Amino acid sequence: MDRRNFIKVTAVTGASATLASCGSPELHLARFIPEEELIPGIATWKPSICPLCSAGCGMIVRVMQGEAEVVRNGEKGLIQMGLAKKLEGNPAHPVNQGKLCVRGQAAIQVTYHPDRITGPLKRSGERGAAQFQPISWDQALAELKSQLDTLASANDQKSVAFLTKPLRGQRHTLVSQFLSRFGAPAPIEFEALGDRVLRRANARSFGREQLPTVDLGRSRYVIAFGADFLGTWNSPVTQNIGYGEMRQGHPGIRAKFVQVEPRMSQTGANADEWVPVKPGTEGVLALGLAHVIIKSGLRPAGSSRAGAQIEGWSAGLVSYSPADVEKITGVKATRIERLAKEFAQTAPAVAIVGGAPLAHTNGMFTALAVNALNGLVGSVGQPGGILFTPNAVPAQPSPSIDKVAADLITAPKPPVQLLLLNDANPVFGTPPAWRVKEALSKIPFIVSFGHFIDETSALADLILPDHSFLESWVDHVPESGTTMTVASVAPPAMKPLHQTRSMPDVLLEVSRSLARPLTPTLPQSYEEMLQSAFGDDFSNAQQQGGRWSDSPQREAVPPVAAANQRAVAYTDPQFDGSAAEYPFHFVPFASLTLLDGSLAHLPWLQEMPDPISTAMWSSWVEINSQKAAEMGIVQGDLLEIASSQGTLRVPAIPSPAIAPDVIAMPFGQGHQTFTRFATGRGVNPISILAAKQEPETGSLAWAATRVKVTKVGSKSGPILFARGMELEHRPHR
Amino acid sequence: MTHRWGMAVDLDRCTGCSACVTACHAENNIPTVGPAEAATGRAMHWLRIERYVEGEFPDVQVKFRPVLCQQCDQAPCEPVCPTYASHHTDEGLNAQVYNRCFGTRYCANACFYNVRFFNFYNPVWDKPLHLQLNPDVSVREAGVMEKCTFCVQRINAGKIDAKAEQRELKDGELKPACVQTCTANALVFGDLNDPESAVSRLSRSARGSKLLEDMGAQPKITYLQKEVWHDSSNG
Repeated sequence: MDRRNFIKVTAVTGASATLASCGSPELHLARFIPEEELIPGIATWKPSICPLCSAGCGMIVRVMQGEAEVVRNGEKGLIQMGLAKKLEGNPAHPVNQGKLCVRGQAAIQVTYHPDRITGPLKRSGERGAAQFQPISWDQALAELKSQLDTLASANDQKSVAFLTKPLRGQRHTLVSQFLSRFGAPAPIEFEALGDRVLRRANARSFGREQLPTVDLGRSRYVIAFGADFLGTWNSPVTQNIGYGEMRQGHPGIRAKFVQVEPRMSQTGANADEWVPVKPGTEGVLALGLAHVIIKSGLRPAGSSRAGAQIEGWSAGLVSYSPADVEKITGVKATRIERLAKEFAQTAPAVAIVGGAPLAHTNGMFTALAVNALNGLVGSVGQPGGILFTPNAVPAQPSPSIDKVAADLITAPKPPVQLLLLNDANPVFGTPPAWRVKEALSKIPFIVSFGHFIDETSALADLILPDHSFLESWVDHVPESGTTMTVASVAPPAMKPLHQTRSMPDVLLEVSRSLARPLTPTLPQSYEEMLQSAFGDDFSNAQQQGGRWSDSPQREAVPPVAAANQRAVAYTDPQFDGSAAEYPFHFVPFASLTLLDGSLAHLPWLQEMPDPISTAMWSSWVEINSQKAAEMGIVQGDLLEIASSQGTLRVPAIPSPAIAPDVIAMPFGQGHQTFTRFATGRGVNPISILAAKQEPETGSLAWAATRVKVTKVGSKSGPILFARGMELEHRPHR
Repeated sequence: MTHRWGMAVDLDRCTGCSACVTACHAENNIPTVGPAEAATGRAMHWLRIERYVEGEFPDVQVKFRPVLCQQCDQAPCEPVCPTYASHHTDEGLNAQVYNRCFGTRYCANACFYNVRFFNFYNPVWDKPLHLQLNPDVSVREAGVMEKCTFCVQRINAGKIDAKAEQRELKDGELKPACVQTCTANALVFGDLNDPESAVSRLSRSARGSKLLEDMGAQPKITYLQKEVWHDSSNG
């Protein structure tokens, strides 16, 4: 039906008929009458919060009137509505101070994605075949209600599981309250590249189970162990702002920056000094530096309370002499001495750890070692050092997905009868040995709230698509990235484009209709819940995108080490595969654009050249250029990468910025099902990872797999380079 | 006083984070061309991050450089255009009038910064991705050359606002999309005719130089060199 006919039909059938056919009259009219505050051609700015990672950057959304084609009750028509046009950082927000990263700038494509799920769906084909048929919201909600009622009447409320991406703020509160009042266990949070090891280590070293806020802007010496803090780790926008300050923000003073990692990341590319180190030995290097600092009398060992977590600390770390450390890490003893003295003598100095060093079996030791080094030079809780965002809600304990999967596979009756899935994709993001897909397939009924069909939501029986972040109330409490107390909140920036409903409101609506109502009752709406959480500040907070303290706050309790913890000693990292059979360390890394793969569906990010390789739309593997020459490998050659778990075929990029015994590959590609832009593109490094774990947290040790490399073809050509870079050297077509 | 728009890029701040590149796509309705076209070198990035790798393992240094139209005063793209689509404005911008352009691509041949992009096909936004399009920027069709405009739509809107409020433009008030989002504050935009503007002060920096300066195009973007840590003997 075209526009003219649409208007004719609505005119003929008359207001009453159309109103009766589609719910609330106000909502209905708003779709046909232009929004009053919008003047054509004039932009208004509305606050929002970036949903793409846990940093929680504040946004402002440029909204202008436009015409959108929507489907309502099976009728297609054009309507006038306010449309988001551009996202910018919220200048008032303490975390990102008016800036957004490469991913945040592309977040608008989540809302306008052509493959977004536009309304509730019910599975119509085999499970996992991703065949669905549209149903009405009434049917969909009745289905969810009856699933919950059936379990409640069988007194089996415990068999409801809520599997989600990390939730913060009131969303977390609401989901937790819903589950606990129903009688189900707490939500299971899943992140492919989570920071559990570091949070746990910070709880032990500093009594804070949260990620640190690194005060780069006031630091004069930064040594980072594997943390890609300018690209993908922790709160990248804050960290980039601080980085600019530490380089050129203070006249006459320029901080030094050293990066320790076997494959140079985008962050490492900015370092004054790059220190390639044997994978899994980063903590030893940190203690080597501490050894020199203590031995040279630059600081007494007792100045680091976090040092109590390390065995042999109070005795001056005798087993970590530069000569010993050189043997383990491959970093020259003279270099260790020099770095240690620079680090101790240039105050304030700070050490950062994150990423691959913590994704080894000894990741906890590495994190504690770097924490102890920070304690030694007095950078904990001090300007230019490691700070902690005050009043951040500590991370909630949550069972890890491998345990959930193992229980599902071994139990005769699946311990989970109903799975509620919120935008988490463990089928893509876990190693094959955890058998997550097989395990989830045993669950009798799966309900997904996600916007897209991905590898995990393809298993769903019922899909209740959530609004996009621009269409719903959003809130967030940042865990790091600021020393102010921050709670972000924002109303919808635009009306929903599709027949979606906000996940919190769906839970609230279902909770009211259950046969056994939840007690005490939950709020009427998510907006009401936010309003009562913010109290008198609500009106102001939602206008500026949140509320925050006027100035940085000193924490009430200084960061101190947890008592009664067993001190940790260095153990060699355990790798899957012998060095003889599998000579290379396989070190995947988070993609600057696609992160762990959760953003592979956004075309701007797919066509964004990787800053190191300049590749777009593809997978590749980086190999040391001298090693490649020895093996007769040139750029674009197809390599077979084999681990004990499987093989991948992927083109090579020889690079001098990677150690000879390491190959590196970005996470992100290799989706089997994830919209037209990501499906069937490239390969997924997680699919050949072994199921090694860091024992204390159970986190996947994703850098602990060894592989062998064979050249299987030449110039396969599937890597696409940005114009002006590699392509210039190609012969003219 | 006429404005003369210019930019300073502090390479000591730039981290290669690429936020500017997506910001530019979002602001200026730059289409993605897809993998097949991108493989032939037709991906459009008005602004790109160039990276230079120096040295061999383990002594490797990488440098990033954001490269966009240098808005040259003696621009090689302008005199070669037979239709005056590529021309110089009073405020020193190398402007492109899309509906004069009929696609000779002489300008792209003449430009040695490689910052002009030709639309080989009509752009495609799978619905409803088109709803994001910025109504202040025209969408270019097949056969038309396009390039960085210093977000001229923002410059014009800022001038109109200032005029309505009967005041002069303030330094730092106008920000192209790349500058607004630049996370490390490496990009600074402003009026080179105002000697006290931030961009003028940075452009006089001893670290400053122009890209391919000896080609004589007199670009209006100054790159401030990355500083080197002096005590870096790799013991």
